[in-house]
Amino acid sequence: MDHFATQIVFILILIVVGFVAGTFAERRHLARLEERERGNGQFLVTQLKSFPAFAKNELAPQMVVGEVVVASDYFKSFLAKMRGIFGGEVRSFHSLLSRARREATQRLVEQSRELGYNAICNLRIETADVGGSTSSKKGAAMVAVIASATAYHYQLPSS
Amino acid sequence: MIVTNTETIAGYRIAEIKGLVQGNTVRAKHAGRDIAASFKNLVGGELKGYTELLTESRRQALERMLSQAEQLGANAIVNVRFTTSAVTAGAAELYAYGTAVVAEPGS
Repeated sequence: MDHFATQIVFILILIVVGFVAGTFAERRHLARLEERERGNGQFLVTQLKSFPAFAKNELAPQMVVGEVVVASDYFKSFLAKMRGIFGGEVRSFHSLLSRARREATQRLVEQSRELGYNAICNLRIETADVGGSTSSKKGAAMVAVIASATAYHYQLPSS
Repeated sequence: MIVTNTETIAGYRIAEIKGLVQGNTVRAKHAGRDIAASFKNLVGGELKGYTELLTESRRQALERMLSQAEQLGANAIVNVRFTTSAVTAGAAELYAYGTAVVAEPGS
């Protein structure tokens, strides 16, 4: 009985640690993402297959790739397990996925800007499998995202 | 070598199609990264070790694809796509493929 109680206490501590650290990490990440996205300015991101408003010939288009792996925290995994009993939308993982996608896209934009481009098209985002942990029994969830796009240079409308 | 994931290259004309080129790599993550990852699964945040692993595998797969294209005498690869698959627990395959072409400036 005593053993059982210590186990419960241990899990509760993990949940609290996960909640505090996870919320902090998420808030910081979202704040940093917003700040970086604000710096993008007129950068054009599309998932069109062609090159909208292409103008510059000197700079050949080039593919850019960005990847990111984001881990869930213990609290979120716990909430997801609870959802697994009752069913319904797993909100705790919703923000995890969107954060991973935004981060990967932002990395593409930053790469392209460094190379001197001002637009990307044909943006493709897919989740990857790094093997193992995504399907582990522990329920430790993580999201791996690979984003690829073609960077090019377009002329801003002069009006 | 011009590499794009679009079907055409803006400002270039595709003169000749050389065919499909591909590159793949299977990488295992090592135990050290797993330990760091299991800790991160507690507190949340980016798994830098796994991100690096993905970057390395992607570079390797692209390199193999590029050397194939060079052998075919192409100067550009269009419509590049990536896919991943889990071969066994702990190892993942990254596969890159595209069409090798000869591109000339002009439209």
